[in-house]
Formats: sequence, structure tokens, C-alpha cells
Amino acid sequence: MLRNLAAAALILAALVLQVSLVNRLSPRLGPDLVLLVVLILAARRGAVPGAVIGFCGGLAYDLMPPSAHALGQYALVMCALGWLAGRAGGQMTLPIVMFCAAIAPGLAAGIGALLGDPGVNWTVLKTAWPKAAVCNLLFAPLVLWVVNKLERRRRGRRSEFVTGWRRGTA
Amino acid sequence: MRDTRRARLVIGLLLAAALVLITVDHRATNGTMLAPVRDVASTVFGKVEGASATVTAPITGFFKTLSNAPGAERVITELRKENAQLKNDLYAQRLNRDRIAKLDKMLGLAGLGRYRIVPAQVVARRATPGFEEAVEIDIGSGDGVRADMTVLSGDGLVGRVVHAGPSTSTVVLLTDPALSAGARMEGGNELGVVSGLGEAGGNDNLIKFRMLDSSSPVQVGRRIVSFGSKGSTPYVAGVPIGVVERVDTTPGELTRTAYARPFADLSAIDVVGVVTQAPKRDPRDSVLPPMPKPAAPRPAKAPDARGDQSAQLRQAESERSRSDQAGTDRAGSDETSGTTQSDPTEADRAVPGQVEQRRTEPRPQARPAAPAAPRELVRAHASESPRSGHEPREPAGHAAPGHVEQAGEQRRQDRGA
Repeated sequence: MLRNLAAAALILAALVLQVSLVNRLSPRLGPDLVLLVVLILAARRGAVPGAVIGFCGGLAYDLMPPSAHALGQYALVMCALGWLAGRAGGQMTLPIVMFCAAIAPGLAAGIGALLGDPGVNWTVLKTAWPKAAVCNLLFAPLVLWVVNKLERRRRGRRSEFVTGWRRGTA
Repeated sequence: MRDTRRARLVIGLLLAAALVLITVDHRATNGTMLAPVRDVASTVFGKVEGASATVTAPITGFFKTLSNAPGAERVITELRKENAQLKNDLYAQRLNRDRIAKLDKMLGLAGLGRYRIVPAQVVARRATPGFEEAVEIDIGSGDGVRADMTVLSGDGLVGRVVHAGPSTSTVVLLTDPALSAGARMEGGNELGVVSGLGEAGGNDNLIKFRMLDSSSPVQVGRRIVSFGSKGSTPYVAGVPIGVVERVDTTPGELTRTAYARPFADLSAIDVVGVVTQAPKRDPRDSVLPPMPKPAAPRPAKAPDARGDQSAQLRQAESERSRSDQAGTDRAGSDETSGTTQSDPTEADRAVPGQVEQRRTEPRPQARPAAPAAPRELVRAHASESPRSGHEPREPAGHAAPGHVEQAGEQRRQDRGA
């Protein structure tokens, strides 16, 4: 339960950071923090939880206020990628996260194209996809490190809680 | 004995001298007689005193420091705190000044076009690379914002509201590929449709301007204003959009495509305004910023001829609007006359040689009949042709190329509603 709440809080923080900081600083070129956090969480938790995390995270991303696309577009993409990351994750978290992060922008654009989004064509995709993928790849290790750090601190606090009797003696 | 006598003499003389000095100094008004002596003394002694003070200053300072030491630490802390606070204030003030400048500019633009606006601050942005450009602003339906309202900044058109929440609203930017707006060339009546390019627009955020009539002339450097939608939703008329930067000449196409650079800086927008009430009259070109000087490196002939033409058009435009005003809009004439009168001076600046000649000419000759007639014609045409609610649709024969984006716009609108 606590784990799920922590995951939700982490995704929420990533969402807020994404729309109010990353996108505003450089609208054209920036990592997709939400995607990275979702993928990392999914890769640690396994296939089915990964899919659920991906769906919920994607839905939250779709609902996040400045949005003008079809609801569920990101839910679909992240659900599929979350499942994939959870399935292949485990020991090798970083490679699978990087792989998924690289193909995600293309997938999202592809879904958009299927839905008839104007402006999606090969020439645009050829310039936009590599840029987004490279940004995601560069930031994947950093986000993984941050998530690791937060998880460890949470665990550390819990262990301290268990061994709390020491405080009385010290 | 001699000694004492001599001593007595000396003492007597000295005492007498002192008495004489006292007498002289006392009797003379303001010490005029002995002033030079005093001056010399003060010069010499003053220098010596100064030198000695310099030498002893560190010593007195040291003792003063010692005596003040207990309170000094506290004073330093207080001063540091105060300094930090002042720095903060200064920074906030600088930010405020930027904001004020932006708001001021925007209010100026809104005043020129007589739009009623509600100012807003951008709080979040979404930029799915290339396919979606939307921002969240901090006002909503509580502030009078509704869906399908024009959003502008101090420089020009920004986009339109697609969704208005209770306290925030979503604005789709001009660069979003799904957005398209009716637009008109400055000074003329060539109509077209502006649509975003997203990622394909490059770092300059270029937008696409498709002319409905492929034979109409488009030159680099001409400016585009919004044409205005039916009932002024979602776009009010006369908002500056951008400057034509590149023209694609594809022979055989039904529409002509130009690429324009938006006036508004769409990669870093923060202060925007939502137009809650459209002006009663179409402001035409009066909202555009003053025409910049024609660039030097271009060949001399072409810009001159063009400038001449556009200046004449503008002149005719301003005269026309003035006469309109005199006839119909008596109540608002005092405000608008400021804007319309600025036009001729602008034209004067652009083409200095033309002014005198034009003024001496009788009026009917100076005003070409051309701009008036096609405008009415185009208006009539545009209102006859089927509209998707907010933009001038192409004439029936030209419908094919614009089909996809119209559909996209329609879809988006349905979703927003």
C-alpha cells in the first residue's frame, strides 16, 4: 500500500515538474520525465503491475491540464510500454528503460497519426523522434538514480523505525 | 643685578608687546590687522595637525573597535540580513518591471484594436515534440473566459482557448498543427489560412500561410493580421500574426503557401491576454507595429515600388476609415482618431518623397478605388461560402488541399465542446 502511494506521489511529482518546469524552459527539446518514471517503476515491479502503473500514469498525463489530444492516447502507449518494461525488467532495469524511452515518442506519434492528428508525417517524425529519444536516453540514468535514491531513503527510514529503541540509549 | 635688570626689561617688553597685541587685535574690527599672521599660523599648524591625525588614526580606530566589539557581531548579522532582503526585493522588483512592461505592451495592443482583454499568466506548458502545443493559463470561467476566445500577447496572436476550467484554462498555441485561423495580408485583401507547423516550423516557430488565391502576390516581409471569424469566435479581427519569411512557389498548386514568423515569441510566453469582447469595428491594420525601415541589402527597386504601393494603400485605408468614422462612428471618434492619424505619419516615414505629391493631389485621385471594391467582394464571398464556424473556408473549387486540417480543427473543436 505504502509502495503504491509512493509510486503515485512520484508520478505526480514528475507530472508537475514536466509541465511547469521542463516544458516551459525548453518547449522543443526536453526529456519526458513522466515516461521515464513510469518505465522505471514498471521495470522494478513486473509485467502486470507495470501495465497498471503505465495505464494510470498515462491517464494522468492525458488528464493533466494543458492538453488538447485525445484522452487515453498516452494511457495506451504507456500501458503497453509498462508491460514490456515489467516483463523484460528485473536485473537489467536501465537498458530496458532506455529501450522503451527511445521508442515511446514514435509510438505516441503513431497513435496520433492513426487518430488523424494533423501535422504528423514522416518528415516531421524523422526530426522529432530522434531528438526526443536522445533527450530521454540522456536523462534516463539520472532519473533512475533519483528514483533509486528516494526508494533507498524510504527503506532506510523504515529500518530506522524498527530499530528505534536505540534512540533511548544514545 | 644686571641679570635681573635685563630680565625685568625683557619681561616688561614682552608683557608690553602682549598688551599691544591684545589692544590692536581687540580694537581692530574683525582682526583685520593681524589676519595675515593668523593665516600663516593656521596653514602651518593645520598641516602638522593633519599629519599627526593620519598617523594616530589606526591607533584610535583600534581602541574604538575594542570598545565597540560586543555589539559589532550583532550589527553585522543585522546588516547581512538586511542586505539579503534588499537583494531579494531588488530581484522581485526587476521581475515585476519585466511583467509590467509586458502587461503594458499588451494593454497598448489591446487599446489599439479596442479589444477588451483579461490578462493572464502562463502556468504550465505541454509540448509533445512537434504534435501538440498547449499552455495552461491561470484564469478560467470565473474570470469570464469561455472556450473559443482569442488569446494574444503584447506582440500578436498567441492562440485560442480550447477549454475553460473554473480557475484555469487551456490554450492551444499558434504553432500547433491542429490550429488554423483565417488571416489577411496587411494593407490588402488577400485572404488565407494560417496553420501551425509544430516541429517542422523549426526553432523560429514558423507557421504556414496558405493563400486562397494562388495568383495573389506574396512578398517576403509583408505582414499578416487575423481576418476575424464570424461573430469573432474564436478569432477577433486585426490581431497581428506574423511576417512572411519565405514563399514557396509550387507551380500547379491551387493554393499558394508562404511561411511566416509569428510576432509573439511562442517559445517563451508568460504574460498573455484573453480577448473577452471583440471590437465593434474591424481595426484593420491599425494594431500592427510601426513599419520597420526597408532592409538595405535588398535590391533598391523592388522594395521602393512595394513600399509606395503599400503606403498608398495605407493612406487610402486611413482616409477611408476616417471618413467612415466621420459618418458613422461619431461617439468613438476621439479614441480612434489617435490610431488612424498615426498611420499617415508612418507612411510618410516609409516613403519620404511621396508625401508632398500625394497631399497636393486631389483626394479622389490619391485614393485608388481598388482596395475598397475587392474587400466587399471578398467579404461577401467569404460569408456566402460554407464555414466551419470560425474560419474562412476556401471556395468550393479549391476545397481539396485544406481538407485534412479543416477536419482536424473540427474534430478538436468537437472535443473541446
